[in-house]
Amino acid sequence: MDCAVAMNLEAAAMPESQEPLLEVCDLSLRRGQAVVLDGVNLALHPGETLGLIGESGAGKSTLALALIGLLRAPEVQLAGSMRFRGTELTRLREADYRRLRGNKIGLIFQDATAALNPCFTVGEQIAEPLKRHLGLSKWDRRERAAELMHSVGIPEPRLRLDAYPHELSGGMQQRVMIAIALACNPELLLADEPTSALDVTIQAQIMELILDRVRALNSSAIFVLHDLALGAQVCDRIAVMYAGQIVEEGPSDRVLASPLHPYTRGLKSCVVELGSRTLVPIPGQVPPLNAMPAGCRFAPRCPKAKAICGEQRPQAEIRDGRQVACWFID
Amino acid sequence: MQEPIFSLLDVERTYELRGRGWFHRASRQLKALDGVRLDLQRGDTLALVGESGSGKSTLIRLMLGLEPASDGRVLYGQRDLSQLDAEERKRFAREVAFIYQNARGSMNPRMRIEDILAEPIRLHGLCAESALPERVAALLDRVGLPTGLLQRFPSELSGGQIRRVAIARALAAEPQVIMADESVAGLDVSVQAQVLNLLRDLCREAGITLVFITHDLGVASYLCEKIAVLYLGRIVEQGPTDAILNTPRHPYTRALLQAFPRFDMPLKASLSGEIPSPVDLPKGCRFAGRCPQAQAACRETDPVLTALEAGRQVACLFPVAAA
Amino acid sequence: MRDALNIPAPPDSQWKRRFVQPLLRQRSAMLGLAIIALYVFAAVFAPWLATHDPTAQDLMASLQGPSAAHWLGTDSYGQDLYSRLLYGAQLALIIGFASVALGLAVGVAIGLAAGLMGGRTEWVLMRIVDGLLAFPELILAMAFMAVLGLGTENVVYALALSFVGPFARMTRGDVLQVKNQPYIEAARLMGVTTAAIIWRHVLPNVVSPILVQAGMRVSIAILLESGLSFLGIGVVPPTPDWGLMIAEGRAFITMAPWISGVPGVALAILLVALNLLGDGLRDAFDPTTQKDA
Repeated sequence: MDCAVAMNLEAAAMPESQEPLLEVCDLSLRRGQAVVLDGVNLALHPGETLGLIGESGAGKSTLALALIGLLRAPEVQLAGSMRFRGTELTRLREADYRRLRGNKIGLIFQDATAALNPCFTVGEQIAEPLKRHLGLSKWDRRERAAELMHSVGIPEPRLRLDAYPHELSGGMQQRVMIAIALACNPELLLADEPTSALDVTIQAQIMELILDRVRALNSSAIFVLHDLALGAQVCDRIAVMYAGQIVEEGPSDRVLASPLHPYTRGLKSCVVELGSRTLVPIPGQVPPLNAMPAGCRFAPRCPKAKAICGEQRPQAEIRDGRQVACWFID
Repeated sequence: MQEPIFSLLDVERTYELRGRGWFHRASRQLKALDGVRLDLQRGDTLALVGESGSGKSTLIRLMLGLEPASDGRVLYGQRDLSQLDAEERKRFAREVAFIYQNARGSMNPRMRIEDILAEPIRLHGLCAESALPERVAALLDRVGLPTGLLQRFPSELSGGQIRRVAIARALAAEPQVIMADESVAGLDVSVQAQVLNLLRDLCREAGITLVFITHDLGVASYLCEKIAVLYLGRIVEQGPTDAILNTPRHPYTRALLQAFPRFDMPLKASLSGEIPSPVDLPKGCRFAGRCPQAQAACRETDPVLTALEAGRQVACLFPVAAA
Repeated sequence: MRDALNIPAPPDSQWKRRFVQPLLRQRSAMLGLAIIALYVFAAVFAPWLATHDPTAQDLMASLQGPSAAHWLGTDSYGQDLYSRLLYGAQLALIIGFASVALGLAVGVAIGLAAGLMGGRTEWVLMRIVDGLLAFPELILAMAFMAVLGLGTENVVYALALSFVGPFARMTRGDVLQVKNQPYIEAARLMGVTTAAIIWRHVLPNVVSPILVQAGMRVSIAILLESGLSFLGIGVVPPTPDWGLMIAEGRAFITMAPWISGVPGVALAILLVALNLLGDGLRDAFDPTTQKDA
């Protein structure tokens, strides 16, 4: 699909055709011979939350890393365009990226224990972006860090400012990560599986907190998730990825309630819900990156596949307010 | 009613924590399990559900005889696990199989799948040496893996495959009970669905008693007919799966259900706070600190697990009304 | 159901694929192996390859440079350097491998016992090992030589003793690590006997790093042996030994540099070759450098 289609889709979805905050057009990423991301189109508007959903190897984390410039040449080859508030990211210099990351784009990683530096107190780590991007004085930084910790629900923030990460529980560490990500009031928050290491009651707390803060700051957010139901709960839009491609993208209620792409359907029938009676697994497995089928990448596992699916890649079409890449949409 | 295959009688497990200081060697006690009572009937499928720190893994280690109970008794049949003689021990090893959470780590990295599967069969002399290859191949087929994998090493298998091999190994000695620790955690949903279906079919076909540890209520409800919910080393509610899902009686069970991500319901942070440390347990109900409907009495009296209705037990002074 | 339908047929020998092929792929290790093979060849066929009796003295022909009669020249006693070099290779390799094998056997036994039994046994054994490790290998070997007296056999014993410490310590460390792996507990749960657990599950998982270490130690052994002989507390003259040859040549280094130079260069090349092979073995055996399929 080219960008014009994406734009039309966006125009259809958003009546007041707003300038998208982030726009990804026909983005491809190659690592050596392997095409890890193939023709990805996305648009994210201010105030929207988008979920990148898929199984491991789908390329959702790769896409997130590429967006924030942590995966770039010469390690990988990028083609296509990513624009953030009109700035082309694919050609951005590392120094300019550094001004974006932690400032205009906040990041939350899956494993807070690994992402926090064990040698510095959480107060110092929250203050770091305040110093680097906002240039606050030492005293102001400390005040602001305490405020941030309070805002992410850490009890007795002034006492915890001087705590080291290992003195906090996993949930509290994730809250610290959120405080760091939100320190400079970012316009975009990127969260890579922010709760998959946490218990389910803590997961709900953390997700609620992230959504709450994102709405309070009127920011946008991209969540990388593997849990479909959680995606339905926290995201306005969902992009389902399979083998480096977006197979279906649109408003989350529509995509997950009545999926159009066979993969989205298959994925949904695998999800264990409370009181599920039957699970229907998708047959087969994701093909290796160096041996991708020429046509639709899902064709070998697809129950509806016909000859054309194995030969030609389907272009994304707009149906029911979403883009779907399949030859046989009902 | 027939006699239970496993019974836990007021089982307690405490760990001594040494004091840090040179002069303060006063030890503190960490209560991982406290007063756990559980009967497991032949053919039951029971899920132990709880968050990290709930003591579910400790419970299964006790039931496997890997750790002794500090107090109370764990009975297998009618024999106390800690008093088995060598002969009984061997029988127990054959009849009760365990599937580790870390399936790959539970296999010797220098052994081929073939030898890993053959080991328990050989050990218990279940078939002649000449019939062994056929039997191993049949095992692999039973868990839906091609026999081409027999010559592989564990590191060469994918996450889904290695868990199937772990299931095949558990089946090798024709056990009566299978215990499994988070056997589908960390798998992609499509692979998870495959493994769950496999486990469910196997237990149904062979009438195997299953004890499944999980933090995921959905997985528990799919796989097991009974659920026991653990919180801070204690069973707070147990009963038939449907009853627990439809009418949770303990506020913690209800909160777990509400926090479970669902397509048709908005996100809800049902509980505030975090699971407290098991070292200095509060007086009274251990859930009182996070319970949305705790009353003064809850901080004073520690509720015991009491029967509510048939097969249903709750440890709460003021159980949630059955709607 | 099957998540693995398209699996390529397994190659005929997994062992080959896991160990031999990674090793073959390493050029430098293969070069090392080729050089070592050459030395072994020279050592084995020394009686046929040699042009002279290595200990035959001919004072008339002393201190001669390389010539048709003496390919690599002669030393101050007129002994043929080429022949002495060949027999020296024999001695170096025998002492190197024998001392490492002996030290490995004793060290691994101590390490296994300490790691598996734990408690008081471990404490006593490891304190003895600490005592052995407190001294540098050469000093330790010299001390043993002083006690045992000169002679080829005694060199082997002294070197073996100096290797017991490192092997024991390493084995114990690996055993302790393997002992806590889930698969050991899983085997115990299945009812596998203790002896079978040690034999089938512990040993195979500690053996390869130990063998790699043994490969590296051979070069150290040969160097130490030459060092001892050079210092005059190793093998006795006129045994053809590289260390002795270098020591003898020292006095004539300006007039006849080949006397020290020939065995010196031979020794250096062998050591480099052994180290290349050792590095290759380490990379081939070490699971962390192997890619998971």
